[in-house]
This record gives sequence, C-alpha cells and structure tokens, in this order.
Amino acid sequence: MAHQAHAYHMVDPSPWPLTGAIAALLLTSGTAIWFHFHSLVLVTAGMILLILTMIQWWRDIIREGTFQGHHTPPVQKGLRYGMILFITSEVFFFLGFFWAFYHSSLAPTPELGGCWPPTGIITLDPFEVPLLNTAVLLASGVTVTWAHHSIMEGERKQAIQSLTLTILLGFYFTFLQAMEYYEAPFTIADGVYGSTFFVATGFHGLHVIIGSTFLAVCLLRQIQYHFTSQHHFGFEAAAWYWHFVDVVWLFLYVSIYWWGS
Amino acid sequence: MYKQIYLCLQQLSRRTICSTARRQVDNMVKEKQKLFQADNGIPVHLKGGAMDAILYRLTMGLTVFGTGFVVYELLSASMPKKS
Repeated sequence: MAHQAHAYHMVDPSPWPLTGAIAALLLTSGTAIWFHFHSLVLVTAGMILLILTMIQWWRDIIREGTFQGHHTPPVQKGLRYGMILFITSEVFFFLGFFWAFYHSSLAPTPELGGCWPPTGIITLDPFEVPLLNTAVLLASGVTVTWAHHSIMEGERKQAIQSLTLTILLGFYFTFLQAMEYYEAPFTIADGVYGSTFFVATGFHGLHVIIGSTFLAVCLLRQIQYHFTSQHHFGFEAAAWYWHFVDVVWLFLYVSIYWWGS
Repeated sequence: MYKQIYLCLQQLSRRTICSTARRQVDNMVKEKQKLFQADNGIPVHLKGGAMDAILYRLTMGLTVFGTGFVVYELLSASMPKKS
C-alpha cells in the first residue's frame, strides 16, 4: 500500500462540489426566472440542493476528522488558516456596506434635505431595543467563551449548558430584530436610508442565523462526545464566527443606530 | 447519524422535562470510528450505510433535474415568442 510523503489530507472523491455549484446555478438563474416569469421552481430546487449539499459536505468533514482521524495538527493548522481567511473575506463583505452607509450619510444630498437622517425619516431609538440587542450579543460572547473553557476543562454538563444559553441568546436577538423590522416606521424603499439600514442589518441578521446554526451543530456534537479537551476545532471555528458576528453588530450599532440617528 | 440525532434529542428532552429520570447519552464515537475506518474502499460520503446512498441519489437526481430545467428555462426565455 502506497503512503503519502506529505502531512496533508487528500480527501476521497466527493460529489458535493458539483452539487454545490449546480445549486449556485439554480439559485442565480432561478432568481432571474422568478423576477421575469414569476416561477419559483428553480429557486426552490436551488435552495433544497444547497441545503442537501451543505449537510452532506459538513457531515463528511465530521466523519473525516472525528471518526477517521484525518485532522492531525498540520491539517488542523490548515483548517484554522481557512476559517480565518473566510472570516476575513466576510469582513470585507460588510466593509462594502459600511462604505455605502458612510458615503451617503457623511455628505447627504439635497434630495435628502441635506441632512442625516434624511428629512421625513423617523429613526429607531438607539437606547431601546437596539441597546437590548447589543447586551444580548455581548452576553452571548461571554457564554460562548464560558462554553470554550468548559470544553477545555472537560466539564461536559457546563459546556452543554453554556452552549445552549449562547444559542438561545442568538435566537432572542433574531426574534427581537424581527420585531423591530416589523415595527419600523421606515422600509427598505425609503431612499438611501432605508436601503443602507435594511441591507446592512439584514445581512448581519442572516449571519446571526448562520452562526446560531453552526453553534447548534456544535451543541449536538458536544452531546455526542465528538469534542475532546485538546481537540475541538469545529467549536473554535463556530466561536470565532460568533465573535465576528458580535463585532459587526457593534459597528452597526455605533454607526447606523447611534451616530446615524 | 440521523437516528443518533433523534435519540439524542429524545433523551435530552426527557432529561429536561423530568429531572429524576436521568439517562446519559451513550458515547458511540468508538463504534463510529470502527465503521468509518473499515478497509472496504467505500468513499466517505457513502460509508455510513444505506441512508447515505439514498441521500446521494436524491441530491444527484435534483442536480441532474435542475441542470436540465435551467437549460430549458434559459432556452425558452431566449426565444421571443415563448416568453
């Protein structure tokens, strides 16, 4: 039997990159077909295919790491680099929307009344629900750190409790934000204020949902004894992502909710 | 894996509802390691059993159907009369 002369993990041939690419094709062309011809078939098929791809791809990574032992220290280092690079790309994604916000708000045009917030816009009070949301996310940052230390110290019950609490706080944030969206006195169609507000906070909310899902998968894995006190990179990646989501909110809160009000 | 998740959630919900009837979730990692390290040449995406094959076929079926449907929709959208 041949042995590899390097430390890297050569994965088994997998169909998921192809199914993921087709899912992207269906989502993009499906959106265009939906806009022009009112048919939701393609977009729906794309969403289902995307979810199936994600579930099976990440299920396979868990199998390769936890059950087959392929995530040796050099491989884990590569996974760490990968997650950091991915989060960095997400930072740049949000930077674009902050650029758009500051572009419009630092030099408001005459069409807006030459002021920010624009004439006629009733802003949300930053010291009501948005401040509560800030407290909720900051608290969730504490609980996820508690979960990490519990895992490192082999405290199984505490790890499950603190991770559950983190996820519940994430759900609470999403619920509060949904209520705010429903009750807001302005919409996405209300000029550049509405556009920058809902696109920036909307993408943030999507990332909260993604982060909560990632943490929930970690909770299930923790319950099933996948993590050891020395090796729990999946959890660390989820925690990094969660802290990133928290930091983005802090910037959103200070820029759009507070300064922009 | 899905039976595992169902059993875990069942045990978890029983535990939270009735604190006296505590039953530990069993550590199945050793069995899983044996299953996935078996030297049978099966790739990891099919190595878990029959459910893997069913999910794979479902996913690939949707992929093939989707590709065909996109080609049809885009061709029909490019023909002036058919849109």
